[in-house]
Amino acid sequence: MPRHIVRLLVLMVAFVAVAYGAKRYFTVDSFYEYGHYRGGSVADIASDKPKYKGNANCQPCHAEVFAQWSAGIHNSVDVGKAVKCEVCHGPAGGRDSLGMFVNAATGPDHPNNLKLAIPTDSRQLCTLCHEKMTGRPAQQRQIVVADHAADQQCTLCHNAHSPRLGLVSAASAAPAPPRGDAEQGKAKAEVCAACHGPEGVSVDLPGPTLAGQRADYIVASIKAYAGGARDNPVMSPVAQTLESADADDLAAHFSGLKCESSLAAAPPKPAAICVTCHGANGQSTILAAPNLLGQSKDYLTATIAAYKDGTRKNDMMAGVVKNLSDADAETAAAYYVGASCKRD
Amino acid sequence: MSDKTKPETPELERRAFLSCLGGALACGAAAAATGVVATEATAAAPATAAGPQPPAIPGYDWTQHRWAFGVDATKCIGCLRCVEACKIENNVPEDAHHFRTWVERYVTLEGEETARIDSQADPVNIAASGSESAYRFADRYKDQKVAKAFFVPKLCNHCTHPACVQVCPTGATYKTEDGAVLIDHTYCIGCQYCVQACPYGARFFNEARNVTEKCTWCYHRITKGLLPACVEVCPVGARVFGDRNDKDSAISKFLRDNQVQVLKRETGNAPNVFYVGIDKDVI
Amino acid sequence: MDTLFQAAPFTGYVYPNETVIPWTVLIVVYPYLTGLVAGAFTISSLYEVFGFQRFKPVAHFALLVSLCCMVVVPLPLLLHLGHPERAFNAMITPHTSSAFAIFAYAAAFYVTLLMLETWFLFRPVIVEEAQRRTGLLAWPYRLLSLGSYDLSERAMRADRKWIHALAIIGIPGAFGLHGYVGFVFGSLKSREWWSSDLMPPIFLFSAIISGTALLIVLYVIACKLRKMPVDFACLQGMAYALWGFMMFTLLLEGVEFASLVYRGREGIDVIMQFVTGPLVVPFFILQFGLGSLFPLLVLTFIIWSGASGRAAVAAITGCGALVLLSVLMMRWNVVIGGQEISKTGQGLIAYTPVLVGRESLLSAAVVLGLPMILLSVMVRLFPPWERA
Repeated sequence: MPRHIVRLLVLMVAFVAVAYGAKRYFTVDSFYEYGHYRGGSVADIASDKPKYKGNANCQPCHAEVFAQWSAGIHNSVDVGKAVKCEVCHGPAGGRDSLGMFVNAATGPDHPNNLKLAIPTDSRQLCTLCHEKMTGRPAQQRQIVVADHAADQQCTLCHNAHSPRLGLVSAASAAPAPPRGDAEQGKAKAEVCAACHGPEGVSVDLPGPTLAGQRADYIVASIKAYAGGARDNPVMSPVAQTLESADADDLAAHFSGLKCESSLAAAPPKPAAICVTCHGANGQSTILAAPNLLGQSKDYLTATIAAYKDGTRKNDMMAGVVKNLSDADAETAAAYYVGASCKRD
Repeated sequence: MSDKTKPETPELERRAFLSCLGGALACGAAAAATGVVATEATAAAPATAAGPQPPAIPGYDWTQHRWAFGVDATKCIGCLRCVEACKIENNVPEDAHHFRTWVERYVTLEGEETARIDSQADPVNIAASGSESAYRFADRYKDQKVAKAFFVPKLCNHCTHPACVQVCPTGATYKTEDGAVLIDHTYCIGCQYCVQACPYGARFFNEARNVTEKCTWCYHRITKGLLPACVEVCPVGARVFGDRNDKDSAISKFLRDNQVQVLKRETGNAPNVFYVGIDKDVI
Repeated sequence: MDTLFQAAPFTGYVYPNETVIPWTVLIVVYPYLTGLVAGAFTISSLYEVFGFQRFKPVAHFALLVSLCCMVVVPLPLLLHLGHPERAFNAMITPHTSSAFAIFAYAAAFYVTLLMLETWFLFRPVIVEEAQRRTGLLAWPYRLLSLGSYDLSERAMRADRKWIHALAIIGIPGAFGLHGYVGFVFGSLKSREWWSSDLMPPIFLFSAIISGTALLIVLYVIACKLRKMPVDFACLQGMAYALWGFMMFTLLLEGVEFASLVYRGREGIDVIMQFVTGPLVVPFFILQFGLGSLFPLLVLTFIIWSGASGRAAVAAITGCGALVLLSVLMMRWNVVIGGQEISKTGQGLIAYTPVLVGRESLLSAAVVLGLPMILLSVMVRLFPPWERA
């Protein structure tokens, strides 16, 4: 064979040998261990740090809220639904600060050096699941946001951890028994009859009906007048003369005066929003809302107007009545007039 | 013939030099070859001895598990918390073009034969959420007469015969013994052939890391006894995950109690994500 | 993140991850280049293997063209890769079920084959230059000569045997090298536009016509630059080859498209919407009309009328240029067109080429221009023309 071909063949063999040697040398150690891939990669991927830690992680430090959540509707394990803590608050395990994948080296965890957000815009957050949306199955509770809450925050009425906590049926939201003495209260209440009616039922009198009202609400109202949170030319000076014990006794007396009501079965649309807190039978379902029993239409519409223009200050009520038109206010008031106090 | 034009001696020297060079190369090649053969012989021994050890994952033996995923499309409410959780858990780029998991909405209007489909990546929905890194569906059909509508979560199907693994030129993507299809980010060359091969659109290229990425069933979580992030956060239980080797696991019950389907069965990829409640229009 | 990737607008429904198109201009240019390699080599082989004497004037030149294109072929791929420094992973641990892994070895094999054949063919030139030259430029020649200046009868006969063998191996090699590119697309289940058994032959035959067309254009230009007359028999032979292979290519492409439409599988509505919409100009007008049917008619006329003057030369060269455009458009319509049709079968994505950047029209132009620059250097170092 001619010399140049021999040399060419030698070169080619040498090249192939070097190439093969390089192939062997550069092949990563754990390659081909389990298949055509780098075996060490599996453990590498598995070693990354989880960011979501799960609910059990939150319980020790946040026991009270956890208990509330546990008992509430956001934890309905019987139907396989649960809104876990980290869904709204973010993961307890720190994220990688650069956002770039770095094996098992991520940021600090909650609670050390990592604060988890308490969502401020509940309206934005809650409606992600609860906005009425085409395609959402019927078993998901949904609201038409504009009709239900206008542009208020959800947390105004709902406890985010247990959204029905304030809305459980009246039966289980029985108020605590009044602290005061109803007998003494009856004696002290004689002067109240001038404006609030002889048995606490006000008919065409300047003051509202007090019969059957929640004791804690009466106490709170007296305190509000005394302290200036509520302002009324008659009640303010009166409240200032009352001691704490007097308020308790009066509350015990008035809350003891029974007030049967009979309301139309289904509230008209404008009143539906009232029913949530004030109850469908005038008995309120949340502790913060007073009963609406035996009130006159004028009183109700005047109160709604007072909330609307800010004369009477209450964030929750202000939000609820903000978009209530005058006509709707009348309709709602008319409905609750039906909750008149029938005496046996 | 052209030799005659040059003096003999330099030619001879040159020839001698070059033949020495050739000989040296040949010797070197032979040495390299024997060295290589020797290492190959020694390397072959341990592997055949007792079978390979499972990967060094603390407290986890991959031969004991057979993972699978279930989706109940009758339950999904399209809240997209799964999409957000996945992005956080796995450092996925936070925009509307890279998703390891996503949710599709199928809406059939009255009088129409096929469903209108959109996902959270649609510009209308991006506008509703306010940004490309916040995820929300817009209520775009609220003024229309809707005959039928539902949501379908999607993710990598971790197929038994993955087309993506078949086409990877380097062996950077692979199927594990316990059923997950993973990507070795230190080995991937970023050719994106696997992105083309996946019929489900589950894979994407991460331009910040110059490699391909996809859902891993949160392999780093499931090997620690946790659930994938999307399953963990789903508030309505539309996503189900578990070990098929365990007869009482959520997925075993899901497969036993439901008539399930897979997506694009005709591809022959044999997906391992099983769907309940999807209908004719789901792609 | 805008600078890192280009998000593409879409209509209908596409999978969220499809809004960034993975394979763009560089992956259009890559099969185009390998096609030119295969095509130019085919013409060279028509002389070296099949003994068509009329192709003698371009045989060696064709080989140089093939080699120059082949050397540049890895460049668009390396530019496209996310991690080009890991590119050798495909050769160190080739996953044999992947067409890409086979490419690495096929390309290495083929570039070696081309280099060897070029070396054998040009050995007389190498030896002569090694002996004639002094100074710096002498050393490359001396190295290439492998220290042997043997041009005896025996040596030349051995060389001829090798050339013949290499040329014979090179034909299926070229077909494999470029046919596999068709397989890369045709074997995928995920895209209806790509999934077809006819893809490898379509790519192959369009490669042959692109290589032939390139040779026609370059040969005429080279003759003009050298101020030599065009060998019309040779040019006519290439025109015949172009004409014949073009008809077959059009047949294959036509059958493939017709089958796709006739089968009418899921997603065909959107495909037809695409074809009768955004694809009208690139597909029907540029690829088929201007780039295929028009040159075919012109060539038919030239062949039928037996024309052979300057006008014929100009017309054939013009046809060559149009065919080059047509094959580039074919690569574009397959690669990018395929990705513009969503895997959902219910949406279309719109690709807008970028002017500058790693994967841009500029980088594509540079990649396409490099082989020509290399060629201009190579023809000086290894003159392929016959001594007059």
